Amino acid sequence: MFDIHGAPSKSKVKNSLKIVIVGCGKVGATLTEQLYLEGHDITLIDMNPDRLAALTDIYDVMGIAGNGASYKVQQEAGIETADLIIAVTDMDELNLLCCTVAKRAGHCQAIARVRTPEYSDEVGYLKEKLELAMIINPEREAAQEIARVLSIPMALSVNPFAGGRVEMVRFKVPDDNILVGESLAQIGSLVSRQVLLCVVERDGQVYIPDGRFVIRRGDMVSFIASMKSARMFFDRIGIRTHVVRTAMLIGGGKAAYYLGKRLLDNGIAVKIIEKSRERCEMLSEILPDAIIINGDGTDAELLREEGLGSVDAFIPLTGLDEENILLTLHAADVSNAKAITKVKRNTFHNVINKLELGSVVYPKYITAEAIIAYVRGWSVARDNSNIETLYHMFDSRVEAIEFNVGENSHVTDIRLKDLKKKDNLLIACISRNGSTIIPGGLDVIKAGDSVVIVTTHTGFQTIDDILL
Amino acid sequence: MNLGIIIYILGYVLKIEAALLCIPLLVALIYGESAWTAFLIAALVAFAVGTVLNRKPSDMVFYLKEGCITTAMAWLLLSLVGCLPFVLSGSIPSFTDALFETISGFTTTGSSILTDVEALPVSCLFWRSFTHWVGGMGVLVFLLAIIPLSGGSHMNLMRAESPGPSVGKLVPKLRATARILYVIYFVMTVVLCVLLMAGGMPFLESLMISFGTAGTGGFGVRNASCGDYSPYIQWVVAIFMMLFGVNFNAYYLILLKKFKDAFNMEELRAYFLMILSAVVLIMISVYDHTLTFADTLRHVFFQVSSLTTSTGFSSMDYDVWPDAAKGILILSMFIGACAGSTGGGIKVSRMVIAVKAAVREIGYYLHPKSVKKVKMDGRTVDQAMIDSVNVYIVVFAMVFIVSFVLISFNGFDLVTTFSAVLTTLNNMGPGFNLVGPACNFSGMSVFSKYVLMFDMLAGRLELFPMLLLFHPILWKEAAKREQRKWLRKKEKQ
Repeated sequence: MFDIHGAPSKSKVKNSLKIVIVGCGKVGATLTEQLYLEGHDITLIDMNPDRLAALTDIYDVMGIAGNGASYKVQQEAGIETADLIIAVTDMDELNLLCCTVAKRAGHCQAIARVRTPEYSDEVGYLKEKLELAMIINPEREAAQEIARVLSIPMALSVNPFAGGRVEMVRFKVPDDNILVGESLAQIGSLVSRQVLLCVVERDGQVYIPDGRFVIRRGDMVSFIASMKSARMFFDRIGIRTHVVRTAMLIGGGKAAYYLGKRLLDNGIAVKIIEKSRERCEMLSEILPDAIIINGDGTDAELLREEGLGSVDAFIPLTGLDEENILLTLHAADVSNAKAITKVKRNTFHNVINKLELGSVVYPKYITAEAIIAYVRGWSVARDNSNIETLYHMFDSRVEAIEFNVGENSHVTDIRLKDLKKKDNLLIACISRNGSTIIPGGLDVIKAGDSVVIVTTHTGFQTIDDILL
Repeated sequence: MNLGIIIYILGYVLKIEAALLCIPLLVALIYGESAWTAFLIAALVAFAVGTVLNRKPSDMVFYLKEGCITTAMAWLLLSLVGCLPFVLSGSIPSFTDALFETISGFTTTGSSILTDVEALPVSCLFWRSFTHWVGGMGVLVFLLAIIPLSGGSHMNLMRAESPGPSVGKLVPKLRATARILYVIYFVMTVVLCVLLMAGGMPFLESLMISFGTAGTGGFGVRNASCGDYSPYIQWVVAIFMMLFGVNFNAYYLILLKKFKDAFNMEELRAYFLMILSAVVLIMISVYDHTLTFADTLRHVFFQVSSLTTSTGFSSMDYDVWPDAAKGILILSMFIGACAGSTGGGIKVSRMVIAVKAAVREIGYYLHPKSVKKVKMDGRTVDQAMIDSVNVYIVVFAMVFIVSFVLISFNGFDLVTTFSAVLTTLNNMGPGFNLVGPACNFSGMSVFSKYVLMFDMLAGRLELFPMLLLFHPILWKEAAKREQRKWLRKKEKQ
C-alpha cells in the first residue's frame, strides 16, 4: 500500500527543512530517499564512510563520517541551524544521546528510534523528559499493525486514519462477491452509512470513486470505518468472518515479544516457536502466558505437531525475509490460517507483491513512513495554519488532508450532496466537538469543524479549494 | 554509458556559452569594433547547437563515468566554440592558434601564442580574459548553480571539474554549494577590480586583470604582462593571486565566522608556509643591490605568488634570475595551489598527504609491525585516498614524460621543452627560456600545440576525465547501448 520505492513526490515543500539523520541503516536510507525527494536539506552522519558514500552517491545530500552523539560532529553537520534530528542507529542509547546532545546544541526537534523492550514501556516518560518530538519503535509498530490486521482478518491491511480516530481498511474484492458489478450508489444502500469506500486500486491506477463508480473483480478497495463497523461491513457483503483466537509466531525476537504481549492482552492464545534455548527462557519469563516452544520453526514436522493446521493466525517473524516468505507460502498450503509476513528489506517489493502472500508488513518502512508523515505534517502546518495534518498514501498518489474550517468558509452549512466539489475528491471524515462523523450526503460542514478530505489532487491550501 | 544525458548537459553548456559570448559582444559594440559580428555569429552558433542538443533524454541515470565524460566533452566543446570569435574576427587567423589560445584561457593556463597582445581588438582581449574567469571556478559548477538538475548523482559533475583529491559539499544541496562558491568568487573579483581602479587603472583593464587573477589564469593585456604597472597594483595583484589559490572552503568557514577552523586547515598552513619559504629562499639567491630591498621583495613575492597559484602573470622577466631561484619556482609550480581553489598544479593537499604517507612508509622500516594512520585536519585519511593521491602523482608523471618526449621533437633545448610541458600541465602560463615570460608558444609546431592543448585540459580537469575520454571500452559500450536502443525502436515499428 505504501510507497516502497519512493516515486518522486510532486508536492515539494516550499520551505525545505534542514534535517540531520544519524545512522544510515535501512531506516536511515529509506528516510534519506523519501525526505530528499521532498526537497529537504539533509545531512547524514554515520560511523561507516562506505555506507555514507553509498547514499551520497545517489542523493544530493551531505555525509559526515563520525559518531553522531559527538557535539563536534553534530556541529559540523550544522546542528545549530537544523530543524530536525532523526537518530536511527542500531543502538537505543546512542540514539537517545544524539537527541539529547542535539537538543542542547541547537533548537531542533528530535526523533529517536528506541526498540529495546525494557525502554518501550517508558517511552512516554522518555519522550516528555528528553523533550523528544517522537520516539519510534519499528518492532512495536509492526506488532501493532499485525494486531490490527488480526482483529479484522479479512482485511489486507488496517491503518489508523485521521489521527487514529477511525481505521482505513484495505481488502481485495473476491471474484464472486456481491460487490462485483455494483455501482457505489447501489452499494451505499447495502451497507450502513458508517462505512465510506474511499480509494480503489485497479491495474496500478488509484481512483477516488464517486457514486457512479462500478466495482470490478480483483479491485483493491479501501474504506474508512471504525473497527466495529468494518466487521459489520464484511458480514453484510458476505466475506466470511472468523475471529482469531489462536496465533502461532515463528521466531522470538523483539517483534515477537511486542506482538505476543499485545495479542495476549486481546485474549488471543499465543504460541511462539524459537530456536535459541536462552531466548526461549527469556521469553517465558516476560510472557508467562504464552506457550514457548524451543525448536526450529522452519521444520515442517514440528509445525504440524504444534498444530499449524488448526491455528487461526500464522505469523513468521524470523530475521530472514526469505524464511518468512517460504513459511507463509507453506502455511497457505497446509492450513487456512491468516498469515502475515514480516519483510525487512525494502528492495524486491515488486517480486514480493506478485507472490500473493496476502498481508505483508514492512517494519522499517512503517517507521520511515511514520517519521515522514510527521515531517510532512509539520512542514506543511508550519507554512499554513489552515492545514492540521497531511498524509500521503498509496505511493504518494493520494493525499489525505485535515483542514480546520474557518468562520468565512464557503463550504459550511451546505448538504454535502449539494456541494459543487471537484472530481477525485472525497470528504472522508468530520470531527466536531470531539466526536467523529463519517459523512453521508445529508451531512453538513460547520465552522469550527476539522475535516479530512481524501484526494488525488495536490497542493490544496484551504478547505475552499475543494470547490469547483 | 548513457549518451543521452551527456548530450543533454552539453546542450546546456553551449547555451550558457551563448549567453557568455553576449558580454564581449556588448564590449565590441560599445567600442565600435568590427569584431562584434564574430561574437554574434559565435553566440548564435552556440545557441543553435545548444538548443539542438538540449533534449531531455528518457533515461536520466548518471554515474561517475558519465560525469567525467560530460566534463571533458564540455570543456572541449566550450573551447571549440569559444575560439570562433578569434578566427572569425581575424585577430588570430589560424584555427590551431585560436583553439590553443581559447583552451589556454578556459583552463586558466595563460600560455599565449600571441607576440603582440596589444594589437588585439579590445573585445577579443576581453573575451580572452573572461574565459579565465569562467574556467577558474568551472563551467559545470556554474551550470549546477543555475539549473535544477534533479538527483544527487550530479555530484559526479562537480567531482570531475573541481580541483583536489576529495571534493565535498559545503551545504547539503549541491546547487546551494555551487551558488556559495560562485558568490564568494564573484565578490572577491569585484573587490579586486575596485582596488585596481583605486590604483588608477582604467575600468576595462582592471576588469580584465581581475578576471585573469581570479581564475588564476594569467593572460595579460599588455605585452609586458604586469611589468608596466605601478608597485601598488603589483602588490594588489600579487596578494589576490595568493588569495585565489586558497581553498574556498576556508572562505566559507570565515563567512560562517569559524575563524579558528579556517586557519587550522593544514593545507592552508602548508600553502602559506610554502609561499613564505619560497620568497625567503629566492630573496637570498637574487638580492644583489641592483634593486632596492622593497622592489626585490615585490618582484619575488609577485613571481612566487603568480607561479605557485599557477596564474602566470609576471612583473619582470624572471628568466634572468639565477638557477637556484628558478629551481625553487619550478618546485612551487609542481606543488601548485590548494585543492578547491581556482589554481592548478598537483595541489598542496595531495602533497601533504603524499609526504605524510612517505614519512609513514619510512617509519615502517623502523617498526615493521607498527600500525599508524595518516591524519589530516585531525581526521584519518583512509588508505583508498592515499592510494588515489599516489596514483595521481604517478599518472601526472607519466603524462608529463610522454608529453615531454612528444614536444622534444620540436628541436628546442631541454629547458624550453621541459618548461613548456610543465607550464601547460600545471595550467601556469609562461615557462622558461623560449617559452619564458618574455616569449610565447608561437614557435611550436602544430602537433606540439595539440599535445600542449591536451596537457592543459588534462591538468585543469585533474587528468582522469581526459584520459577516460580515450578509453575504448567506454565508447564500445556506448555504441552497443545506442545500437540496442535503435533496434528496439525498429522492432516496435
